[in-house]
Amino acid sequence: MTAPAAAPAAPAAAPSLTPVFVRLKLSLLRNGLRQSSGRRAAYVASAVVALLFAALQLLGLILLRGDEHAATVTVILVAVLALGWAVMPLFFPSGDETLDPTRLVMLPLRPRPLVRALLVASLVGIGPLFTLCLALGAVIAVARGGAAVAVGAVAVPLTLLLCVALARAVATANVRLLTSRRGRDLAVLSGLVIAVGAQLVNFGAQRIGSSAEGLGELEPAADVLGWIPPSSALSAVHATGEARYATAAAQLILSFAALLLLLHLWQRSLTRLMTSPDGSTLAAAEPDRRQRGGGLFARLPAGRTGPVMERTLRYVWRDPKTKAAWVTSLAIGLIVPVFNALQDTGSVYFACFAAGMLGIQMYNQFGQDTSAFWMVAMTVASTRDAYEELRARALALLVITLPYAALVTVLTTALLGEWHALPETLGLSFALLGAMLATGAWSSARYPYSIPQQGHKNVAPGQAGLAWISIFGGMLAAAVLCAPVLALTIWLHTAGHGSWTWLLLPVGTLYGVAVTGAGLRIAAPRVARRLPEILAAVSKG
Amino acid sequence: MTEPAVHVHNLWKAFGQQLAVAGVDLTLPAGKFIGLVGPNGAGKTTTLSMVTGLLRPDQGTVEVVGHDVWKDPAEVKARIGVLPEGLRLFDRLSGRELLAYTGRLRGLPGTEVDKRATQLLDVLDLAGAQHKLVVDYSTGMRKKIGLAAALLHNPEVLFLDEPFEGVDPVSAQTIRGVLERYTGSGATVVFSSHVMELVESLCDWVAVIAAGRIRAQGPLAEVRGDAATLQEAFLELVGAHGRDAATDLDWLGGGSTR
Ligand SMILES: Nc1ncnc2c1ncn2[C@@H]1O[C@H](COP(=O)(O)OP(=O)(O)OP(=O)(O)O)[C@@H](O)[C@H]1O
Ligand SMILES: [Mg+2]
Repeated sequence: MTAPAAAPAAPAAAPSLTPVFVRLKLSLLRNGLRQSSGRRAAYVASAVVALLFAALQLLGLILLRGDEHAATVTVILVAVLALGWAVMPLFFPSGDETLDPTRLVMLPLRPRPLVRALLVASLVGIGPLFTLCLALGAVIAVARGGAAVAVGAVAVPLTLLLCVALARAVATANVRLLTSRRGRDLAVLSGLVIAVGAQLVNFGAQRIGSSAEGLGELEPAADVLGWIPPSSALSAVHATGEARYATAAAQLILSFAALLLLLHLWQRSLTRLMTSPDGSTLAAAEPDRRQRGGGLFARLPAGRTGPVMERTLRYVWRDPKTKAAWVTSLAIGLIVPVFNALQDTGSVYFACFAAGMLGIQMYNQFGQDTSAFWMVAMTVASTRDAYEELRARALALLVITLPYAALVTVLTTALLGEWHALPETLGLSFALLGAMLATGAWSSARYPYSIPQQGHKNVAPGQAGLAWISIFGGMLAAAVLCAPVLALTIWLHTAGHGSWTWLLLPVGTLYGVAVTGAGLRIAAPRVARRLPEILAAVSKG
Repeated sequence: MTEPAVHVHNLWKAFGQQLAVAGVDLTLPAGKFIGLVGPNGAGKTTTLSMVTGLLRPDQGTVEVVGHDVWKDPAEVKARIGVLPEGLRLFDRLSGRELLAYTGRLRGLPGTEVDKRATQLLDVLDLAGAQHKLVVDYSTGMRKKIGLAAALLHNPEVLFLDEPFEGVDPVSAQTIRGVLERYTGSGATVVFSSHVMELVESLCDWVAVIAAGRIRAQGPLAEVRGDAATLQEAFLELVGAHGRDAATDLDWLGGGSTR
């Protein structure tokens, strides 16, 4: 079999295309720097920092040589690096103009030489240099013996190519998404991914720090990652050093296969892109799958409830701000109880976090509508309408929240092995959820505020105080509302009626339902009366 | 004569120090095509918002088809359709989803909503974009989908704030056709605009507003009076006649740097 670089596909055109692209990239880079001194300074500064960091990495990895955990560390490092390459084009789509396939659509280029030229061109830059340093360092850290060094000589370029190809393949596959307005909404999520990622890293570091085994904790993870390209290439170097030649060969072949697959996928989406219409017009031509309007939504209740639930749920998925808020709530609602349970510092009651975090989504309901709230205001003519509107929104929330809170509770209980506490925790969760829905509905009516659609801010200027009152006042009120169920829980435990705690499940559930109903009924007349004021408050974004 | 479609009495609204609407009195007859004209910042949007119940007036009463907007919202809201200006739509829905949502919220049965939505999308030339998210629509397409949403429940009175803004001539003609047929059946259209030619060719009744007050209202011919065109009469009414921009901007033009 021939490697892709030696493919006989384009005999005459091939040799010229690659240098053209490399030169194009270099001159774009140069021109970009020439445009403004600020930009040049920023570029130079970031280059210096990146290279310094790369050099330190290299040094660190060289020092790591011989350490018993060297293999683990390098494998994980490379995996993280590859992950970075994969997600980067999603968040910085316009990073590299030479690689923007939409700009090449007009040129009469054949995909195969084009892919090759683009691949080589994308090896120019700070990112690839950084990756090269890291891969080199990693190989130095783990290569033991001549055979391992030889494998390492293959593994370094392989890793680099895999990373770059991965980024290009992801970018090309997503180009339709990224050139649309909807795609750019993804950027709103980028901060979130970083935040959750930091949580995970923090947790991992804590675990390593606190456990006696230290880095050894990560070994199982490294064992798995060692079979996933491009970490597999490094794993092969390590395996060769330990004379596990079969493993090494398998991992190396796996890496090669992954590279070929990625190049193939990249080429395919590039071809499709260059032969199909522009991304911005694609949405209109989309198949009529949505026309049915059926599926899940067909089963929603009639009247106001159905359409409002449907719209609310669609917004959870389609509106970047709403989605970011939901993903945050879902992530934190899971991470806090489960991680605490994993660290054995947890208690089952932490599972209530899921209900609490998701209940926050009931707050500022109308602010989430932005000025489109007028469409709601136009159709709300009575307290009854307002009640149905609020109830439908609460129900939409419950569609996601109830199963999720139950799942998190069961998971936490299972991790801690405290099955006897499951009913009471569920009951408490549901009571808390009910209280959050009730206070959320009320504060939505009383303290609405605007959520700006642009940027990362979640409160319009001048309304921060309002937002604080709305959310923190509401949460405090929710805690107070939960007091009866809490008191019952404490009493059952302290008075030695531990065997009766299952009672808390029905009691908590009923209490949650009752409190939600009451909250909605109190909030509804307020909404109906204050429609213009709410509209004015939520239209400032 | 039958009862007026809209009756506004002594309507006031101030934003802080800024007096936006200062004692508007309006009586708009039913079954007519009514134009509300005025310069920028005259208070058209503010007036229409208060008339449709989206903004609370400081003072004054508004009756639509005999019902008070603020005391009897249920009767009024079911009978009016609105296309506001400067407010968003639920634009993360596709055009068709938006219509389905609005129609069902208005209490129409699902099958009826689907039927009407299909027809409106066809007539307004949006059928090709019906599955695209409204956020990806152009300005004119947004006006048109907003108009469709306002018409869906066949209201008695339709309030449109600058419905022709950003709409191409072909679509404008389409919208005109739809609205003319609609008023022909006895419904009332109230719309605001600055385009005098358009108002003159469309409306049978005109109200001129400037600086928060009504300067003139009545049948088109009456408001136009002796002036040759509505444009002339309008400039006269709002007191902008004879103002000459050329004397103030003598540096403008010619391309020299001084
Ligand atoms: N939310 C607001 N806050 C403060 N001032 C406002 C607000 N809305 C309107 N105004 C002021 O009220 C006055 C009337 O505004 P309005 O939007 O009603 O004018 P308009 O006739 O619709 O103008 P245009 O033709 O430009 O749309 C203007 O002076 C405007 O600055
Ligand atoms: Mg206006």
